[in-house]
Amino acid sequence: MLGEIIAKGSDNQRSRAMQTLSLSEQARGQRRALTDISHMLTAMSASAEKTRTIYDAREGTTLPGTLVRKEGDPPVADPAANEAYDGCGFTYDLYKNFFGRNSLDGNGMHIDSTVHYQKGYDNAFWDGKQMVYGDGDEDLPEAQRLFNRFTISVDIIGHELTHGITQYEANLAYFAQSGALNESMSDVFGSLVKQYQRGQSAAEADWIIGEGLFTSNVKGVGIRSMKAPGTAYDDPVIGKDPQPGHMKDYVSTTQDNGGVHINSGIPNHAFYVAALEIGGNAWEKAGQVWYIALRDNLKGTSDFQDAANQTFLIAGQKFGVGSLEQKAVAKGWAEVGITAVSVPVTPPVTNGGSGCLTAVFRGLGLLRNG
Amino acid sequence: MRIHFERTGGFAGMSMATTFDLDDLPEDEADHLKSLLDDLDFDDLPEKIVSSPSGADRFSYTIAIENKKGRRAVETTDSAAPEKLRGLINLLNQMSRTRRM
Repeated sequence: MLGEIIAKGSDNQRSRAMQTLSLSEQARGQRRALTDISHMLTAMSASAEKTRTIYDAREGTTLPGTLVRKEGDPPVADPAANEAYDGCGFTYDLYKNFFGRNSLDGNGMHIDSTVHYQKGYDNAFWDGKQMVYGDGDEDLPEAQRLFNRFTISVDIIGHELTHGITQYEANLAYFAQSGALNESMSDVFGSLVKQYQRGQSAAEADWIIGEGLFTSNVKGVGIRSMKAPGTAYDDPVIGKDPQPGHMKDYVSTTQDNGGVHINSGIPNHAFYVAALEIGGNAWEKAGQVWYIALRDNLKGTSDFQDAANQTFLIAGQKFGVGSLEQKAVAKGWAEVGITAVSVPVTPPVTNGGSGCLTAVFRGLGLLRNG
Repeated sequence: MRIHFERTGGFAGMSMATTFDLDDLPEDEADHLKSLLDDLDFDDLPEKIVSSPSGADRFSYTIAIENKKGRRAVETTDSAAPEKLRGLINLLNQMSRTRRM
């Protein structure tokens, strides 16, 4: 109703309605209100559909490269291009169907991927605007190859896309604990994409990240294990999986931006425990809680304790204080050495009419000057 | 002269570290490295070359040179490394990957 008044009322009515909406929305989080309105607008305008584009860097480094497959095109000869296309599709669908999110920015942005980046590039990354995938060790003799192409596991694709979502939402700073949390979000939702694709419950899932990425030359099951951090690989050439699964084993290092891929094992394991405890499909309840935390509650400097407190809060809000779900979230964090504590709902930042919500209304022409 | 090359980060978050003693390398490789270092004015590079954070799962590198003058190290990332440093990074990366056995 307030939305109606804002859209169609007089100036006076508008400003009063906006004030009321503003104040009531503050209790639920300004960001959430902005998102809801954004979704409403999207639903009113073009229908929410994915727009995927796959490019080929042809072993060079110029991005995005040559267009090889666009949305709606049939499969091409190149498996990497098809894997990137399909993986983006599964990721988009998970976020849209279960979390009501229309692409990375929540507003249907194009999803761009480049495959065949460089030669012998044993990596995949998110560059701030798109995903980029290497082919692994294709340039080395077979006996020396450690990595396959990086589109080979759908959770890697989900992981990279989630970096984009994190950038638009909590924007967790990519170093130390907030960075490890950023990494963990990508592993959590990457794993959920894989579980969703396979139709697996939390109990059925393997909770391994990057299964299939290693060649048979490597002694390992994957890159990381959310179920048992530190056990994914133990190999004479690449060494042992360095991930901790508990705060007492937190790794202080200057490598890897302060160990963001290492200490992510701790929040990863917390999610695994919570999801397993709740039961059913991990994306339905545990995934919901983590998604809301990423979208509404966490911010750039959030650390593990913040994540524990906010997921605990959200689980209480969604499922009830003292509910099985909230207890499962608390148990997940407790198992990694963090006690979730009750925190007050954080009011959004309001700076006298120049906040997010106001900017949207101004942009829509619903505000006069001011 | 010894060159210590370390690569961390990336999607897999692994650490790859190799130390090359130029006296032990094949002549052409040693010469190639020396000429890259000369072109670079390695001694004049800042210790840390990092850009404002955007993106994720990129590699970070540390290149340390030890010679009679002492030890000098430069830290950088894939997104921040200047063009002239890229040649050295690519070569050291390739040498490290092929020797990893």
